[in-house]
Amino acid sequence: MAVDLSVECMGLSFQNPVLVASGTFGYGDEYYDIMPFRLLGGLVTKTITARVRPGNPPPRVVETDAGMLNSIGLANVGLEAFLRDKLPWILQHAGPSRIVVNFAGFSVDEYLELGAVLGRTPGIDALEVNLGCPNVRAGHIHFGADPEGVRQVISGVRGKTALPIVAKLTPNVTDIASLAQNAVEAGADCVSLINTLPGMKIDVQRRKPVLGMGFGGLSGPAIRPVGVACVYKVYQRLRQIGSKAAIIGIGGITSGCDALEYILAGARLVQVGTASFVHPQAAKTVVDELERYCAERNIESISELIGAAHEE
Amino acid sequence: MNPAFEWVPVSRIEEVAEDTFVISYAEPKNATAIQAGQFCMVSSSPGSSDFYLPRPFSYYQVLAPHTIRILFRIFGRATRWMAALKPGDKIGVFGPLGRAFTSRTGAQRAILVAGGIGLPPLVLLAGKLARLDKAPVIDLVYGEVKGARVIDLKGTLPETVRCHIATEDGQIGFKGLVTQVLEKILSGSETPPAVYTCGPKAMMAAVSDILQPEKVELFEASLEENMACGMGICQGCVIPIKAKDGAERYECCCTEGPVFNGFEVKWR
Repeated sequence: MAVDLSVECMGLSFQNPVLVASGTFGYGDEYYDIMPFRLLGGLVTKTITARVRPGNPPPRVVETDAGMLNSIGLANVGLEAFLRDKLPWILQHAGPSRIVVNFAGFSVDEYLELGAVLGRTPGIDALEVNLGCPNVRAGHIHFGADPEGVRQVISGVRGKTALPIVAKLTPNVTDIASLAQNAVEAGADCVSLINTLPGMKIDVQRRKPVLGMGFGGLSGPAIRPVGVACVYKVYQRLRQIGSKAAIIGIGGITSGCDALEYILAGARLVQVGTASFVHPQAAKTVVDELERYCAERNIESISELIGAAHEE
Repeated sequence: MNPAFEWVPVSRIEEVAEDTFVISYAEPKNATAIQAGQFCMVSSSPGSSDFYLPRPFSYYQVLAPHTIRILFRIFGRATRWMAALKPGDKIGVFGPLGRAFTSRTGAQRAILVAGGIGLPPLVLLAGKLARLDKAPVIDLVYGEVKGARVIDLKGTLPETVRCHIATEDGQIGFKGLVTQVLEKILSGSETPPAVYTCGPKAMMAAVSDILQPEKVELFEASLEENMACGMGICQGCVIPIKAKDGAERYECCCTEGPVFNGFEVKWR
């Protein structure tokens, strides 16, 4: 039996529900020979900022139990070089997969400027607004953790573009469901969660934090239960308020079953992140395992499983 | 040559010095493409929780027709796991990755300075250099803190390579540091040598201090930094670089290195 893995989300059709997460797949070109992203539901680009950023001092990454800490500091080529050097290549190689451009600003105005430029760039299918990178210390307001900040950024970007907007939320808040509600009420078509959790590893020989910046963002299988719980909670809230906004599940997905946990909790799409570092073809493995799971259980369409873990 | 990811069975594992091992595996696809200084990422079997991120290892030996050997020392949980492998156990290998040493330089003399577990890429390089049409005179200076850790290189290096061993405890070879041996060799060198190094950062910084740019043909250092992807994607393994024009920037150890112009690395 052929399984229908396609999913409708934000008014777009995705050939399968598996995307690769921002910052873990570059601009699609580096991994292309090993893992062509055209086989996936979509590619989420590395976070783009208005200007080029060299990033944080090393060490920037370190392994932890079942995961890793990173403090990259949004190192990226900047908006201009992205549009000139990276995006054309991405669009040429996308095939049927969707292109989601992730961006971040250091002020509300900067978010709006980026949203305006990216929002009228042909070929981009959706924008993902990074509202909670924990690794950038610039004295700016931490928009992602502040409901008012989220509202300002999302409603502002909403006013600048007709493209679907995904609000990427930080889990580092008391109530992620309220944050999600804020985002969708401000005009987000979708929320993606979770970003990394703050963490630290200390080198007991040197008696100092391992990472150059001290703190880093924790990702990998270690955070999956946190992510699944957040998706579950947000799904409940969005149903309560009668919102049609979708959820993208992120956090520690390595296998088809990991992705299914998120889908059953209420995610329409998922993003594979850190697992790509461990195995560049991880995202394709997730697609294949989802298909096998459905085929073995006579599930005709993966969409049937979205939110199925909730009691009716 | 594009890197490939493969699960390969380990064919052999040997303890070659204290806490120091060599694993061998067959890699029919990529072996011939490997250049000295390149590396591969080694990962544990799928679903294993022994360690999470793959670890970078420079290639140590490539034996005809397609056996690859990796030399490593127990340092943390990944290398402890590797040391416990048995023939037939599978490891994930992703490679070849990174920028190799420049082997054709025109220098009549090559000096390779290895510290501890920085030895592997220089052994591969020594073999490459010795097989060049106009092979330079090759000196390998190899240092360890203690004699028990010295790896016996008999049969591993071409006979034309002159090997100088230095140990801090004086149990084997010269009692002292590799930099002392290097200084002696440099003072007897009539033409500008090509100098290559791999080892602890402090040792490579000391080598850099000794060398004068106008008196060497080339100075290349193979560096290491915590890595996740090995492909330039995560931007995790950056090395601070100070270019000749004074501009400072970060370069990825995995794609712009691991071999760098030693005069451009900001060692301190």
